[in-house]
Amino acid sequence: MNEKGANIDLLFRNGLKDYEVLPPPGAWDRIHSAIKIKSRPIILLRIAAVVTILLTVSFLTYKWSREISSTTSVSALSFNVGAPSPVISVPFDDPQYLTAIRNNQVRNSSNFKIEPINYGTISDATDVAFSPEPIMNIQETKSLSIGNNTTVRGPLLALPNRSQVNSIYIQYPDLQYLLVNNSTIPVNRWSIAAMASPTYYSGISSGSDQLSNKIMSSEQPLFSYSGGLSFSYKISKRFSIQSGLYYSSLGQKVDGINSYSGFTQFVNTKGDHNFEVLTSNGKVFTTNPDVFLTANGSDRILTAYTKDVFDPNKASLQPVNSSLNQNFSYLEFPVILRYKIVDKTIGINLIGGLSYNLLVHNSVYTTLDGKIYPVGDTKGLNPLNLSSSLGMGMEYNISGKLSLNLEPTFRYYLNPFSVTTGSFIHPYSFGIFSGVSYKF
Amino acid sequence: MSEIKKIIKGCLAGNRRDQELLYRRHAGKLFAVCLQYSGNDDEARDILQEGFIKIFENLEHFKHEGSFEGWMRRITVNTALEKFRCRHNLYRVDDIDTIKEPDAEPDNQDYAGLDAKDLLEIIRELPTKYRMVFNLFAIEGYSHKEISKIVNISEGTSKSNLSRARVILQRRVGSYTGLKKKVVNE
Repeated sequence: MNEKGANIDLLFRNGLKDYEVLPPPGAWDRIHSAIKIKSRPIILLRIAAVVTILLTVSFLTYKWSREISSTTSVSALSFNVGAPSPVISVPFDDPQYLTAIRNNQVRNSSNFKIEPINYGTISDATDVAFSPEPIMNIQETKSLSIGNNTTVRGPLLALPNRSQVNSIYIQYPDLQYLLVNNSTIPVNRWSIAAMASPTYYSGISSGSDQLSNKIMSSEQPLFSYSGGLSFSYKISKRFSIQSGLYYSSLGQKVDGINSYSGFTQFVNTKGDHNFEVLTSNGKVFTTNPDVFLTANGSDRILTAYTKDVFDPNKASLQPVNSSLNQNFSYLEFPVILRYKIVDKTIGINLIGGLSYNLLVHNSVYTTLDGKIYPVGDTKGLNPLNLSSSLGMGMEYNISGKLSLNLEPTFRYYLNPFSVTTGSFIHPYSFGIFSGVSYKF
Repeated sequence: MSEIKKIIKGCLAGNRRDQELLYRRHAGKLFAVCLQYSGNDDEARDILQEGFIKIFENLEHFKHEGSFEGWMRRITVNTALEKFRCRHNLYRVDDIDTIKEPDAEPDNQDYAGLDAKDLLEIIRELPTKYRMVFNLFAIEGYSHKEISKIVNISEGTSKSNLSRARVILQRRVGSYTGLKKKVVNE
């Protein structure tokens, strides 16, 4: 028998060696579309990395340039607090102070204002030699001296050219507060926001086959939510960049899967799970030995305990539910760019960006009399997903620092949660985030 | 640089032409392997697709130290085994015993005239678990100890399955060759 066995082994080994069968038509197209889809997230990750680097470099360059400008303006303008009455000394040997004034770095206070006006509006500062340089309008100024002896009275001040005087002295006895350099300007570039949203979650199937269509038709979205804290930095008047940490809980209900409890006493197989259930987001493996599962008229459950082997009704198992709930929790790290379209009491922003989503928990359960009955978990989920977001943010400014936010946001996951045979299901979600933000 | 190295490099760079070239060159042999491990044409097609996707995904890990064809074959066989485990690892060992054993030993050992297509058909007619054990032992060269771990059965069951697979194959081969001779003589 051994010799016969060896002969038959050789017959098949040699006979099938180098044998070729023409593969089914369309196989290559499916393979190619699958590898294309899989390679796309890598490309997108690279693009995201490049965009992030560019944004970081731009941000740092911008911040650096502002620091240089602020140092210059501090040296150009100083506030003599030790004088009997507050005096602003404006050395006139560097024209950059004009730029500082133009940029409104000298701001309104309760009783003092300086702002650029047109040269032509000056009328009564006759004892000052006017220069063609831009000039300032000083309101409620009681006395003003230019150079050592020249004084201009009245609301208007013309700046002389640099050959005539070296500095301007503005005397204002009642002045309490005056902001003269960047370090004291109350520009709230940073803001922190707490946001939360109920989320509608579903998926788009690509390269789907009959099986995945059938599976998806039995799945319904569950109540999902997302929330967390975010920080944003105002890059310019219109643009700001935002990041933070969000927690998202997504889920779906899988109908047509009947669950029973009390199966532990009948389990007689080895292995860490008794049932596998095919879903659009991967395979559910039962980890609860007490649960018994059957499917309504489909072959989506893989088990040794098929109908012909074990009948839950004959064994008097207790029916639990006719559906399973799948839950996935993610920690989300967004990199979002905001563009302010309307900058008024009610502001409107356009929001777009990418988020890295780290899978932190997944569970499958059903409910029995309102209580959670654990079933198992989903295998084969991608631990890291990349999602893109697009939304419109509405911002109601309650005060200068506090605002209410409402942000309808659409999110599309660039890579599927997992891959089932022949199909890739890209989840997407839609949520209306609401919360408060505080500027500082 | 050898041609296969060039093709692999092109595939790694995402060149569609090289990817298709790699597929066209090896798909035939690998599909035969898929059919050998599966009794179902649709499942064989799925194994081929999933196997090739894994091959492309893991191409960067190929070290150019052994045979590239052997490396691809191993991935394909492993994909077939994953499918098999997925569908059958939960079956109890005694389920196997319900399969009817052939009632007689074959007497015809003249295998002349059997071509690869016939052999493939014969092997695919085997019950799944017998087919797996026979393929792994006779074709891939695994030991019973290794097979017991791969298929999640005992070594004794592996030996028993192999023995039964051989008996069935010998009988079927005998029937095939007898039938073929009869056709030729007529």
